[in-house]
Amino acid sequence: MNLVRIDGLHKHFGSNHVLKGIDLRIKQGEVVALIGRSGSGKSTLLRSINGLESFEDGLVEVDGERLHAGQTNLRELRQKVGMVFQQFNLFPHLSVGENVMLAPQVVKKTPRGECETIARSVLDKVGLSEKYDAYPDQLSGGQQQRVAIARALAMQPRVLLCDEITSALDPELVNEVLAVVKTLAAEGMTLIMVTHEMRFAREVGDRLVFMHEGRIHESGTPAELFAHPKTPELANFIGSIN
Amino acid sequence: MNDISTWDVARNLADGAMWTLGLSLCAFVLGGVSGLALLFARIAKRTWLRRLAQGYIEVFQGTPLLMQLFIIFFGSSLIGIELSPWLAAALGLTLFTSAYLGEIWRACVESVAKGQWEASASLALSHFEQMRYVILPQARRIAIAPTVGFSVQVVKGTAVTSIIGFVELTKTGSMLANATYKPFLVFGLVALGYFILCYPLSAFSRRLERNSRESRTH
Amino acid sequence: MAYSFDFAAVLEYREVLLAGTLRTLALTATGTVFGLAIGVLGAVSRAWRIAPYDKVFAVYVEAVRNTPFLVQLFFIFFGLPSLGVQINEWQAAILAMVINLGAYTTEIIRAGIEATPRGQIEAAQSLAMTRAQIFRQVVLPPALRKVWPAICSQVVIVMLGSSVCSQIAAEELTFAANFIQSRNFRAFETYFIVTAMYFVLALLVRQIMIRGGRRLLGGRRA
Repeated sequence: MNLVRIDGLHKHFGSNHVLKGIDLRIKQGEVVALIGRSGSGKSTLLRSINGLESFEDGLVEVDGERLHAGQTNLRELRQKVGMVFQQFNLFPHLSVGENVMLAPQVVKKTPRGECETIARSVLDKVGLSEKYDAYPDQLSGGQQQRVAIARALAMQPRVLLCDEITSALDPELVNEVLAVVKTLAAEGMTLIMVTHEMRFAREVGDRLVFMHEGRIHESGTPAELFAHPKTPELANFIGSIN
Repeated sequence: MNDISTWDVARNLADGAMWTLGLSLCAFVLGGVSGLALLFARIAKRTWLRRLAQGYIEVFQGTPLLMQLFIIFFGSSLIGIELSPWLAAALGLTLFTSAYLGEIWRACVESVAKGQWEASASLALSHFEQMRYVILPQARRIAIAPTVGFSVQVVKGTAVTSIIGFVELTKTGSMLANATYKPFLVFGLVALGYFILCYPLSAFSRRLERNSRESRTH
Repeated sequence: MAYSFDFAAVLEYREVLLAGTLRTLALTATGTVFGLAIGVLGAVSRAWRIAPYDKVFAVYVEAVRNTPFLVQLFFIFFGLPSLGVQINEWQAAILAMVINLGAYTTEIIRAGIEATPRGQIEAAQSLAMTRAQIFRQVVLPPALRKVWPAICSQVVIVMLGSSVCSQIAAEELTFAANFIQSRNFRAFETYFIVTAMYFVLALLVRQIMIRGGRRLLGGRRA
């Protein structure tokens, strides 16, 4: 069964046509990596899935919540779609625990005690339960990003969007974040990620989606795509990153 | 009494506004000169000079302008000098202005990058030469917007001098309000008069600030 | 003829001074609380361009910032009754303080709101928070914390400015000074002592504001 369905998505930035009719189906539990050069539209596509980018034409559907062009009521959809950002975007005035509890508390109106239980369990999952009372600026980049993952998980999303979540990290901190993502994938979380970590994408991804100039150029299993690129653009892209 | 027309009111207020403008200019120019002296004292090498300047600034920024005017007005008569309201007002506002400008300018000097001091020192410039050729020219550019912005405070500050009897825009307004029994109209016009004096300065300062922000990001 | 200072002649009136001090503080506290409330509303209207309030607040801010407090006070105290609005000196003084601080804090807080990184808002949106929730939970607390020093300075400036409320016979600290010097004929000593009192009050109010801000806004470290 398809958890995420994207039909005929078109998006412009001014006169720049950045998404030129995207169709994509993603199954429950699938791990999809969007790859491609910068400017190919992969981040924009990812951000359209939870309505951070509006689009002019097409449809996004996640677990039965439909999002049409120009629609602004995104609350139901966003409760089912978690997102992790390149720059972490933790709330600096809140402790780690408060960062994680905020949305369950104010959006879902979950009682405080229950929120704490949730917070402790998701922080445990990312290996940071001892940082519950710390503040974001006391954590390393890798720890901050793991808290950001925990914050998204606390809403119990059906799908998690990861937008270049290791790009802002020092090289030695990348692995701790990727390890968390790998665990999530193994537990059956549906993941859609934009990433430059090709080795990771090959290892964890069930499917790679290669985007080029606003279109899905090629997609398939990592093995297929890397061994037998069908188009010169993909061959080129693979060549440029190796 | 009641045959004072709106036209008379406006004309009298315009006269008052001229005094407001004159006092503002006077305080701003004299306050600027003494503010500059204060700036040099504030960043001097001698500790006592710095402390003195800092104390001066803290006293004038930490007490009401009205109290400063009262003390000048009554204090001068104690030492046998009878200051006219005009002189007391000009003196009081000048001291007040110098304290604020001195502090604003000090912040501008300190915002010049440390590397500029080090670079100019390593070229064997003296402290004075560093200031004269490297630091002040840069600080001056940064200082223009907040200085123009502060000029609005000077114009508004002149209103307080009406209380020690200097007849400027506000005092003229009070007298006219009493004479015409039309306080709403008169004080509305007084406010408009200040707005006409201040708004261009506010708008200009804002534009300078925006320009300097943009030139910094490019 | 040497003048002999007589500061004791002022201290005889310490109860009058104390009453004036308390009233000046009350005026400042009321102005601060309501002024901040207006400032927050004005700031969000301006920063997020909430029509038509953004325009209304823009006009309000310009009108207040480009006219003297004393004239605003006279306009309220002498002008409003001629429109049939009955207002006593205290109501006028408080209203003028609130209006004044509301305008200045609108601009100060707006700068704080506009400095919110875009990612903060996107993260909150991704968590399905509403606009109001995002403002209240994510945008406002760090914005207020960032601009709190500027707010403290403004409150001190307005408190010192409230000295002119004596002109409409609001019995605050300057009014007390005027009263005392009219009785003891020791104008210089009286104003000297009251000026010193304002100086101490300014330090005190700033400290209270900074500490209060640290507690309310949860600033852990400087």
